[in-house]
Amino acid sequence: MSIEIRHLSKQFGTFAALRDVNLEIQSGELLALLGPSGSGKTTLLRVIAGLETADSGQVLFNNEDTTRQSIRDRQVGFVFQHYALFRNMTIFENVAFGLRVRPKDCRLKDAEIRERVTNLLQLVQLDWLADRYPHQLSGGQRQRIALARALAVEPKVLLLDEPFGALDAKVRKELRIWLRRLHDDMHITSVFVTHDQEEALEVSDRVVVMNEGRIEQIGTPDAVYEQPANPFVYEFLGHVNLFHGRIHRGRAIISDIEIEAPEHAEAENLAAIAYVRPHDIEIDRVTNGESALAAHIVHIVSIGPIVRLELAHDDSSNKNLVQVEISKDRFRELQLTKGDRVYIKPRRLELFPSHASANSIH
Amino acid sequence: MSTFKQHSVLPGFNLALGFTLIYLSLIVLIPLSAAFFRTAELTWTEFWTVVTTPRVLASYRLTFGASFAAALTNALFGLLIAWVLVRYQFTGKRLIDALIDLPFALPTAVAGIALTALYAGNGWIGQFLEPLGIKVAFTPIGIYVALTFIGLPFVVRTVQPVLEDIETELEEAAAMLGANRLQIFLRIIFPAIFPALMTGFALAFARAIGEYGSVIFIAGNMPMVSEITPLLIITKLEQYDYAGATAIAVVMLVISFILLLIVNLLQWWSRHRNALA
Repeated sequence: MSIEIRHLSKQFGTFAALRDVNLEIQSGELLALLGPSGSGKTTLLRVIAGLETADSGQVLFNNEDTTRQSIRDRQVGFVFQHYALFRNMTIFENVAFGLRVRPKDCRLKDAEIRERVTNLLQLVQLDWLADRYPHQLSGGQRQRIALARALAVEPKVLLLDEPFGALDAKVRKELRIWLRRLHDDMHITSVFVTHDQEEALEVSDRVVVMNEGRIEQIGTPDAVYEQPANPFVYEFLGHVNLFHGRIHRGRAIISDIEIEAPEHAEAENLAAIAYVRPHDIEIDRVTNGESALAAHIVHIVSIGPIVRLELAHDDSSNKNLVQVEISKDRFRELQLTKGDRVYIKPRRLELFPSHASANSIH
Repeated sequence: MSTFKQHSVLPGFNLALGFTLIYLSLIVLIPLSAAFFRTAELTWTEFWTVVTTPRVLASYRLTFGASFAAALTNALFGLLIAWVLVRYQFTGKRLIDALIDLPFALPTAVAGIALTALYAGNGWIGQFLEPLGIKVAFTPIGIYVALTFIGLPFVVRTVQPVLEDIETELEEAAAMLGANRLQIFLRIIFPAIFPALMTGFALAFARAIGEYGSVIFIAGNMPMVSEITPLLIITKLEQYDYAGATAIAVVMLVISFILLLIVNLLQWWSRHRNALA
């Protein structure tokens, strides 16, 4: 089922949770709503579910307006961050709940319910826990049961509110790979909310980056990471270094370096901020004649196959430390130690005139 | 069999338990056992005769019957009040919340006099009920009204916090799965508050059984009709029939204990089933 969201706005008192949000979700897609807390992502999800009503705007399922539809008629499965399992029921009864509360005339026979619940429990690989109670399960198991319960009523849309938010790092990783695989098998239109950019980029088909009730960018994980639409998205998705500089007639000048910036050909001596990812910075012990920034190493952290260096500019006008990520091989080759003097040069950068980014620089 | 002492993070288990037992003995068990000792002055046949006279039996039926009915009423309406106080926002909510505790604070005799004045044939409420053929004051119905009044806070105060703790997510989850409001209440909310409801019911019931002050004013105290057991005990005491009074008290005590035990077992069973622990 496709979902279309038109001009959705929602206000909580004086706080605007959603401001004129427009979004199209294709049938069978796995979409991530990504944003910091308070960005409106959960509110958007709850409005789609019907748990919250918007002040204005429409939500369309398969081109049909759902604004007046009750929660029950929407055929939406919802998974909560804290599982919301019914603790007075066994795991089996939790999953069977949606089938048991159906009106008598369209309720399945007991044997059919038993069969479907058993199949779902097998799907989430927890059929051996059918007779347990929720409090006897681990967090990861509970969330899988919550998913099975949501799937039991054969929803047309699956909505997940920070589904892995309450789990520890390892279980989180396992579950999101598992969710991706499950989605690939079932192809049910799914929307999940997360504040974890890694999770959004890894699991989803498309990512919707939200901030302060607005959508900042919609795109594939690659697109939002490689071509962020604005400084907010750049800063929100992964580490980033900021360099203050100027752009002038298609060239960017940052301290001692000059870089081609053809997209800013008409800029006349404009203050700008350059965004550079830590892994997009080249580092060397010597300059090979090209312009480069001089710096010295302040801190070295080795994380598995990569080494993260923190550098301080020699030029005191840029006080921020620069983060650089290089491979362990490169690190060994350069034989770097703390305090060493090095030269750095951005391999790739994104320039934004600084007035546009003034709000989002901390 | 282990000779190692079990260590607990909470210190002073022995001390605390010892104190609890001594305290309970001094405050509850010794006075109660005095009643049993006093009763022992009677022979079995004397005892049996005293506690099975028609007048005493009638008072048992009335006391336990009216108390049960009052506790049941309180369970139902106490739940409703707790629900309204927890679920809805309205002006004057704090005031109503404070009013709930009033039956605790009011001297029971005052409650009895006030209720009698209201429900007597010429009272504010009684004048409208009398033409309908309903007599409240000086009848068992009056006793039921008084017992309902004094037992009101128990159910409200035990159910309220539990109701507040039920996550709205559970109800939302049930609604998303297609349950209607009645199904959500019966399958999700009620099982969660049932143990607390039972506790409130048991407290209101126990309180009603022992109630004396408010009832004697409104009951009319006619033997065989509207005479409660506590009054019968007082009457015996006034006639210096201490053994007879304690004999009736002992029977009352044993019945109360058995009933409360049953309620506790029910509660334990439902809590166990709900796996709330």
